Amino acid sequence: MKSISIGRRSAMAGGAMLSLLPPGLARAASPEAFPKEPVTIEIWWHEYGPMTAYVKELIEAYKKVRPNVTVHPVITSSGDINQKLTVGLATGTGPHIMDQDASFYELYFLKGVLEPLILPVFDAKSYDEIIAHYTPGGLDAATFQGKIYALPYQGNSMSLFLSNKAFAAAGLDPEKDAPKTWDDVKALGPKLKKVQNRRTVQKAFDFPYHSPRWEVQCFQPLVEQFGGRILSADGKRAYVSTPEAVKAMSLWRDVTKVTGDPRTTLNTPSNPNQDFIDGRTAMWITGPWATSQIRQSRIGDDFTVVSLPQVNPAKPHTILYGWMWGVNKAKPEAEKIVAWDFVRFMLAKPAEWLEKVAFFQPVKGLDATATAQHFPFFSVHMRDIETGTWYIRSEYTNEITQAIGRAIERVIYDGADPKASLDQAQAEVNRVLKA
Amino acid sequence: MARQAAFGRLIILPTLAILFIFRFLPMLQAIYLSFTRYDLVHAPRFIGVANFIDLMRDPLFLNAVRVSFTYVTCSVIPVLPLSLGLAILFNRSLVLKNMLRSAVFMPVVMPAVVMAVVWTFMYEQDGVINTILGWLNIDPVPWLRSSATALWAVILIGIWRATPYYMVIFLAGLQAIPGDYYAAARIDGANAWQVFRHITLPLIRPTTLLVIVMNVIVAIKVFAVPTIMTQGGPADSTRVLPLFIYQTAFEFFDMGHAAAMSVFLFAAVMAFSFIQVRIFTQREDSQ
Repeated sequence: MKSISIGRRSAMAGGAMLSLLPPGLARAASPEAFPKEPVTIEIWWHEYGPMTAYVKELIEAYKKVRPNVTVHPVITSSGDINQKLTVGLATGTGPHIMDQDASFYELYFLKGVLEPLILPVFDAKSYDEIIAHYTPGGLDAATFQGKIYALPYQGNSMSLFLSNKAFAAAGLDPEKDAPKTWDDVKALGPKLKKVQNRRTVQKAFDFPYHSPRWEVQCFQPLVEQFGGRILSADGKRAYVSTPEAVKAMSLWRDVTKVTGDPRTTLNTPSNPNQDFIDGRTAMWITGPWATSQIRQSRIGDDFTVVSLPQVNPAKPHTILYGWMWGVNKAKPEAEKIVAWDFVRFMLAKPAEWLEKVAFFQPVKGLDATATAQHFPFFSVHMRDIETGTWYIRSEYTNEITQAIGRAIERVIYDGADPKASLDQAQAEVNRVLKA
Repeated sequence: MARQAAFGRLIILPTLAILFIFRFLPMLQAIYLSFTRYDLVHAPRFIGVANFIDLMRDPLFLNAVRVSFTYVTCSVIPVLPLSLGLAILFNRSLVLKNMLRSAVFMPVVMPAVVMAVVWTFMYEQDGVINTILGWLNIDPVPWLRSSATALWAVILIGIWRATPYYMVIFLAGLQAIPGDYYAAARIDGANAWQVFRHITLPLIRPTTLLVIVMNVIVAIKVFAVPTIMTQGGPADSTRVLPLFIYQTAFEFFDMGHAAAMSVFLFAAVMAFSFIQVRIFTQREDSQ
């Protein structure tokens, strides 16, 4: 493994940061703003072993700083948190602090269940002051009508992970021969794909098929690389079957034909990197969070990460997705202050999140930390984060995601024509948006 | 006597209360919600029959109905002869009969989640089914990764799971037939087919009705297996109606539409059961 130079924008942004984090977040609320009586708040998050351990650690640490506050944790599987939160928010039994995929916050904002960030808690005078601490666009998915409604503890992009072993076996060098464009990926297909007895035993590369969300995480940047977009800025119009989207879908199909075999995937929503870990895929797109899982597998450190392949490397487009903390508007004022204060406390050490959970916060200055410099391929991930556009956000994100997922599956599994399949998806999405 | 009756009513009161609170009340609530626009966060707003009209124009709903109909039809019909055949087999004296019965019954006691995971592995490229096909020089079949095969793969599991359960019910029906009828038939020189056709089949008619109605109700509610194995894919080919209802309610936050679909499902089951009972009772009356 070889460390790669720090991204240009990161370097510019980073450098002189004394604290690892947005100073505003690192500062405690002014004493007069914080309640002095005993307060209990509840926080819900989705289960992920390293994260659960770290947040529990943070709860213990917070007790020492705020002895009058009790933080009650509720941990739920990632598959259930959406439903649990929805029902909780609907019935008034929701938590003070919620953990949710960034793409849901627009929906929650439109439903009016979010409390905007309380500036005095962060010792900030304006939302712009907070935004300035993040990488460009880092808070886009949480900013509505000029106010910030959530803060990310995890911002991811999708980069290309290469199996050094598979490259070496094919006589390739994972650094020199790493693909930069989708044409490069296609060219590597015949060299890395292995078929024995009419069965694919190693795919050169495969797109994800285990969930529509992952499919769109790959499809959206492809559309943008061709100059298109999936949703209008206000999320009210969809452009699912534009010429750019058709080109993206055709590229997906053509790359898959040469490199992959989607019928053989063993990836699942709970084990999305399984094919790569098991050596069934030589090149795989995933986020930086997967690093610890991959290192603990039989691959160990024998992998390389390069930026997401592009149509035109001079104009890179990647995806940005992640998870955020938000605060429930329905709670009493004093408890909302405490909730935002605990969010501030949790996010105050991004380098610790990186070290203990392998989660990137999209904050400036993270790259200057020692942890970041030791994190495998940190600068590659950060560069992809910085060139990323947040995952589509609309009141109907789930419906749009599923419509696109179905379109992809029709093309890949059933051989449907990309244009016809996307036209069908467009009609399905239009129906939802007009409802 | 009156005191006894009052005491009897008192005893069943808690059960009735539980049934009312946890069964009938949610059903009534669902019926009410089906006439509303309800996003789970804001209060429901009455919109009349708009949800039902919209469903009739929704291609995704119509597809889910089609998938469910195919699933029910193709999983219920084979179960009848298979479970009856096994019941007839196990109604005879067999070596290791009890052990074999238990082995055949195993799929019923296996949790649906475990079963779905195990079958998922069996259907994979290197799973046991494709390995056997490989021995026969047949290319691996993408069972769960093609719209052409995924639903059939899920249906096969439904048949595999339901057959032993209904076998037990048929077995109970067969054992309730008095042996004298068979003895008399044999004395009259009836062959095995004639005995089956004119004695067994007519006498297990009530059991058959029960099996069909129960099997249809269970099949129409199938949820866990397609959810775990395919999440309704590829390309919606296995998205049965209960899964679509769940997604509409808890992923799309559209409880009004979800409730309308549930009411539709309820009405379909009721209508089917009613027609089935009518057909069977009419036949019995005519005999």
